[in-house]
Amino acid sequence: MRRLTLAAVLLVGACSAGPAPSEVVPRNAAAPQPADASTVTVTVAPSSSAGPAPSCDATASLRPGPLPPAGQMPAGSTMERILKRGRLIAGVDQNSYLMGFRNSFTGEIEGFDVDVARQIAKAIFGDEKKVQFKVVTAAERIPVLQHGDVDVVVRTMTITCQRLADVDFSQVYYLAGQRVLVRRNSGITGVDSLKDKKVCVATGSTSLGNVVGRAKTTVSVPNWTDCLVMLQQGQTDAISTDDTILAGLAAQDPYTEVVGARFTEEPYGVGVPKGQEDLVRFVNGVLERMYADGSWSGIYWRWLNRLGPAPAPPVARYRD
Amino acid sequence: MVIDSQPRQALVRRVTGLARSTPGRLSLIVVVLVMASLASGWLTTWSVNRQQQALEDLATRSEPLAHASQEVYRALQDADATAASAFLSGGLEPSQLRQRYEADIAQAQAALSVATASSPDLTATLAAQLPVYTGLIETARTNNRQGFPVGAAYLREASGLMRTQLLPSAQELYRAETDRVARAQDEANFPWGSVTVALAFVVALVLTQVYLTRRTNRLLNIGLLVATAAAAVSLLWATTVSVLVMRDVAASRSASEKVDVLAQARIATLTARGEETLTLVARGSGQAYEKNFVAVSERLEGLLGRAKQQENGEAADQAMRHFRQWQQVHQRIREADDAGQYNDAVALIDNPYFDSLDQDLVRAIGQARQDFSDEVAVARASLAGTVVGVLVLAVISAVGSTMGLWQRLKEYR
Repeated sequence: MRRLTLAAVLLVGACSAGPAPSEVVPRNAAAPQPADASTVTVTVAPSSSAGPAPSCDATASLRPGPLPPAGQMPAGSTMERILKRGRLIAGVDQNSYLMGFRNSFTGEIEGFDVDVARQIAKAIFGDEKKVQFKVVTAAERIPVLQHGDVDVVVRTMTITCQRLADVDFSQVYYLAGQRVLVRRNSGITGVDSLKDKKVCVATGSTSLGNVVGRAKTTVSVPNWTDCLVMLQQGQTDAISTDDTILAGLAAQDPYTEVVGARFTEEPYGVGVPKGQEDLVRFVNGVLERMYADGSWSGIYWRWLNRLGPAPAPPVARYRD
Repeated sequence: MVIDSQPRQALVRRVTGLARSTPGRLSLIVVVLVMASLASGWLTTWSVNRQQQALEDLATRSEPLAHASQEVYRALQDADATAASAFLSGGLEPSQLRQRYEADIAQAQAALSVATASSPDLTATLAAQLPVYTGLIETARTNNRQGFPVGAAYLREASGLMRTQLLPSAQELYRAETDRVARAQDEANFPWGSVTVALAFVVALVLTQVYLTRRTNRLLNIGLLVATAAAAVSLLWATTVSVLVMRDVAASRSASEKVDVLAQARIATLTARGEETLTLVARGSGQAYEKNFVAVSERLEGLLGRAKQQENGEAADQAMRHFRQWQQVHQRIREADDAGQYNDAVALIDNPYFDSLDQDLVRAIGQARQDFSDEVAVARASLAGTVVGVLVLAVISAVGSTMGLWQRLKEYR
């Protein structure tokens, strides 16, 4: 009898197999991405890229007159309006190490561009502290000038003929050139080895137009440091932009290096709202004085000495 | 089927035959009454049990879970706002901000592990992404310590992750748990079914009494009288208790609505604080954050107004006052920032009103939760003993009606 029961139990057991052991559902957590990261394709070339730019002599600016003494701006001029307001409003960056960045110890914004803006404030007020910094992204530079939100933009802004249609520029205050930043030992040697790689650039920069056709994929983000985040997280193979900005990024990560030669020329100018010729001439006067009295070299030495010894200041060119 | 119908027809014939004679009819009535008494007793017990379970679920599961999910949301929101504030302060982050951030993360994690038991699917994203978030924040700190602006980029990425993934998941979780509380409250509604059956049983007993009086010319039957009384008491008991429970549950519902409004207000407070801080972090390019601040503040004002309507207490008044003071300071912060006095603006953000508002809401939430807990406890207390009482009364009804009819049946022997 017992044996029969056992047999029955075995029989029933054989027929009803237990359910498969449970499994933990695998979850693929997507790597976090900087906000507003978007992939750029060649067909959708951004408006700020070189493209079929109107040809012009971009770097020839307006000849300055003699600089008025600080605190005594000509009546009715744009500088007088700024003087009356009590502060210069300058559009700068707080994310580009060495050029315009927030010093995390003091909370102040510093850098090469910031010092240029301070020199302009010093020429108007006699006090380089009378300047309000408004942080703008690369893409916001032209809109803030057009809306009159700022008096000047000093933010690694390349003078191009296309941009000259919307804003005015001072003479060249620094001549940069585009290069490539990669992880060390990545095998990438310059812009020509990017054909099968992913490259990160900032939205609204000239670098975007220069690189978008030369890389397999181009991803654009609001700030250059967002690109460094992507490089560190392995979401991009390279960053390509001006050597000044790349030097600042490389300084934040010893596992990166700048490779290849300059493959573009990026003449930086101070952006001024269209039509304010008096301010353009004034800024040019300030720049000439900086070149002459050595303060330009001082600023270069302070921020960009890792790019090599100070070059001669840019040579002013005017169309009068 | 054809074969089956044969004995069934025979049974029907026998029963109808029985029903034709008075003793047969009496025996049938006994059987029906006993079954009805037990059925009614069982049904009442079942529905009382259900109410009891619903109340227990409210007190020990749904409400604590809803609170835990609200804590997840609140702690995450606060962690993000605190991380942004710590960044804004410049230099080494103030240790109280760092402690607050760490407490928030610990609180979020603890509350999350409570909520995970009931909603493993809804908490999956939170469980997967929270460590990623904290990792990004630590990377941001490390870079900040070295003076590298890439730290701010990591902070932005972390904040983006929080806004696009963690907070929406936390919101979904909170909604799900709040709905669960509402469903548990619905479970404890008036037991129409069992009350109707109990009432029908009392009516049946009365009708039997009338029938017997007519047939036997005896005015009262003690057994049936006892049975009727027991059934009536049981009906009255169950009805009274249900009405009491309903009233308490309705009160608990308004308490949990209060908690919901206050919790939303608290989350809106923290959101607005985060936006206010990020506007300053963005330094001139924070128009989008300021727009969010204005929108969230409007919603917060509406929520505080609703909280005041629900209970015009001191806490609600104080919250509204602190909210207005905070808004005034915010106005001054914006004016200072727009006028280029950035450092003054940053100094102003360190004002007591935001924390005071938060504390007011914490107190009000604590009070409303206590109200909820009290109401549910009263409801549970009023149900105590009902199951046993109803069962005993049902047995008395059954025994009473059997004995009462047995006496009459004996007279036919």
